[in-house]
Amino acid sequence: MGLQFDASPEEIKLFLEEADEHLQLLEEDLVRLEKEDDTADLLQAIFRSAHTLKGSSATLGHQRMAQLTHAMENILDKLRKDQVTLTTGVMDVLFEALDLLRVLKEEIVTLEESDVDLTGMLEGLAAVANQEVVKPEVKVEKEEYKMELDSHEKQVLREAGEERNAFLINISLQENSEMLPVRALITMMTMRELGEIVKSQPSMEDIEREIVSTKMQVLLLTDKPVDFLNNSINDLPDIVEFHIDSYQGGESVPEEIEVQPSVLAQEAKIEEVKVQNGSNNKAAAKDIKINKQNRTVRVDVELLDNLMNLVGELVIDRTRLAQVLGTLEARYEDTDLTEDLNRTSIHIGRVTTQLQEEIMKARMLPVESLFNKFPRMMRDLSQKAGKEVDFQMEGQETELDRSIIEEIGDPLIHLLRNSVDHAIETPEERKAMGKNPVGMIKLGAHHEENHINIVVRDDGRGIDPEKIRASAVKKGLIAEDVAHRLGDQEAINLIFASGLSTASKVSDISGRGVGMDVVRTNLEKVNGAIEIHTEVGKGTEIKIKLPLTLAIIRALLVNLSQRVYAIPLTSVLETIRITNDQIKIINKREAIVVRGNVLPLLRLRELFNTPGVAEGENDKIFVVVVNMAGQQLGIVVDALVGEQEVVIKSLGKFIGDVQGIAGATILGDGSVALIIDVPSLMKKFTAMAS
Amino acid sequence: MSEAARKIEEKQFVVFQLSKETYGVDISKVWEIIIVQPITQVPHTAEFIEGIINLRGRVIPVIDLRKRFNLHQDEYTRSTRIMVIEISGNTLGMIVDGVSEVLRISSDIVEPPPPAITNIDADYLQGVAKLEDRLVILLNLDKLLSKQEKLDLESTMLD
Repeated sequence: MGLQFDASPEEIKLFLEEADEHLQLLEEDLVRLEKEDDTADLLQAIFRSAHTLKGSSATLGHQRMAQLTHAMENILDKLRKDQVTLTTGVMDVLFEALDLLRVLKEEIVTLEESDVDLTGMLEGLAAVANQEVVKPEVKVEKEEYKMELDSHEKQVLREAGEERNAFLINISLQENSEMLPVRALITMMTMRELGEIVKSQPSMEDIEREIVSTKMQVLLLTDKPVDFLNNSINDLPDIVEFHIDSYQGGESVPEEIEVQPSVLAQEAKIEEVKVQNGSNNKAAAKDIKINKQNRTVRVDVELLDNLMNLVGELVIDRTRLAQVLGTLEARYEDTDLTEDLNRTSIHIGRVTTQLQEEIMKARMLPVESLFNKFPRMMRDLSQKAGKEVDFQMEGQETELDRSIIEEIGDPLIHLLRNSVDHAIETPEERKAMGKNPVGMIKLGAHHEENHINIVVRDDGRGIDPEKIRASAVKKGLIAEDVAHRLGDQEAINLIFASGLSTASKVSDISGRGVGMDVVRTNLEKVNGAIEIHTEVGKGTEIKIKLPLTLAIIRALLVNLSQRVYAIPLTSVLETIRITNDQIKIINKREAIVVRGNVLPLLRLRELFNTPGVAEGENDKIFVVVVNMAGQQLGIVVDALVGEQEVVIKSLGKFIGDVQGIAGATILGDGSVALIIDVPSLMKKFTAMAS
Repeated sequence: MSEAARKIEEKQFVVFQLSKETYGVDISKVWEIIIVQPITQVPHTAEFIEGIINLRGRVIPVIDLRKRFNLHQDEYTRSTRIMVIEISGNTLGMIVDGVSEVLRISSDIVEPPPPAITNIDADYLQGVAKLEDRLVILLNLDKLLSKQEKLDLESTMLD
């Protein structure tokens, strides 16, 4: 069904921009809302966003969107006024509504009505908005904590004796818990194990007949200390809050244990500290954003690409101009004319450099645009996996070329999912190991020299090299004896081989054994490198090294048969000079020993079939040591030329994909140099070995 | 428009020499003609692909037509040129022995390629133009690469 809106294309575009911004804000704030204690300001902000969306969608004539935002606004208003308690259930409904809003927003883009049925969602929202206040006021609490006992029950209490104490336990269950009667029953069973139940509200009979509410009250006679009760109840699922008071006569005296499940409390504390810093920065960043907003134009990425290409040509011409000038000066000595040309040439050079920098900057985006969607994703993932995860991010302001940002999204999602699914243990396991039951996953980005590092770190179970070895042997990736000879780090690097997964459980998102292989391939596409550091039981750190931009890379220029080749510096470890007699033959292949490690050698000349130059091979041989995902290889070249920024050019469709060559670049003298594709060399080399 | 007028249309062809024969290609396919410059060889490519050159900041592949047509190899001379052409969306350079002129050739003097006049596969030939004093072999550039070669290239495309 087609949709029509009573607005000009410009108005619709404006609306969409505004809607996108508010939807993003809503999502970020909702995620924070769930984590933070002090929610008043946040709720205010969320309410404002929803309100703005409602207003603008109504103006545009998008009724369904206006209806939905209106219903959300109702809940938010009541939350704001403490008329509705904020629970995971409420959050889930709000998140779902937010997802629906996005779908509805898309309708404006496509002008097609989606098949989303709002009725269910609207009813759900209304139900939440109309629910009773669960969070009791302090005054009410006192009254509630009393329990009327009949004579028989009083008799039981009197006969309790010295070693047993009576406790009045108040429990609030999570209201969205689908299996409320079951939860209540489990709670009662636990109580029974702890001691004698004098009386309960609702009664055992009621619970069995499934007449339950989220509130439960149990008068318990037990010889266990308060702390013990505390821990036992804390371990029960889906409990929002509970109080244990010692019961004396008809009055309950608070035992000073006002307990929220301890885990939540801890988490909240950590969050508080962190978010305070974060929110300040963010507020500042947002101000800047608003100020700048009016002064920006949207530019097609393709246009930026073209500009970058043109600048690339200018860079080359600048170098040529300088060379021609040199020749002219040599021929005509210093005249006014060459002097004039010299000045112009220098000026063009300066402008070109500036232009290059500015256009590179225009292509940069803060990684925030990518990172933004992760907190929500991590929340959903950890809930689904039944794990508690404290997800932290830092360095969102770090800038990267937008095409790189586009490429690393999927690999990052994969790594983060892996962390939640496989790395972080369940809260029970973590407690048993003496770890904080809340797992930590940290995503950070920072600038280092001429590249960007993105780090995913967790404090989960780490990767066991033994498991990897076993799995690789089982799947036939390597022979058993080879597996045993592998060092731990080498074994861990096997997870980048395709077809290997150590996860015993296959979830719907990870563990199918294609993961890390794909992650690495995707990263190699943007000249990225990946490293893993892991410690069993302590956690894993995955470091992704990315170039600042795709179009221009720093490369080591080398000479081979009088031709210049460029090797991307991201994969170069070091260069060494050896003599012929250092080369040993190991497994019928050339290798050298560098600081105790065997380094296999690859003679590029043989691989590329270029004419051989006999001299130079005997005395001094230059070896460029490259590293890819922990694997090292020595590339034998004739000479080292130097380090330089090069503009990457594709070889074009006509020539196509050439193994070992990533593309070409144009050098200062106008000649064309081939860029070595280290990952594909590595693959070819490994293939030749086996 | 009369039937006769539609039949006889005049097209411009760039005429060049290769070995001892004269060839022509549709001028709309020719971007420019440049002098021979240093060519960077690319390993593991077809033999007729000479390598790549820098065309004002663009990297384009260069093929040697004599190798492509299995003709006798000569050293490059002062008149050797690289013709920059477009084949099915790809820009590439073609090494030829020399470019002589641009000719207007009307379709009524073009005959289908006689099988015996040349050792090029007939597939590349659009026809032969009979001029007063000589024959010009008209090439169909889009078919310069055989179907199989095109498939090979497409399956190994870079992007």
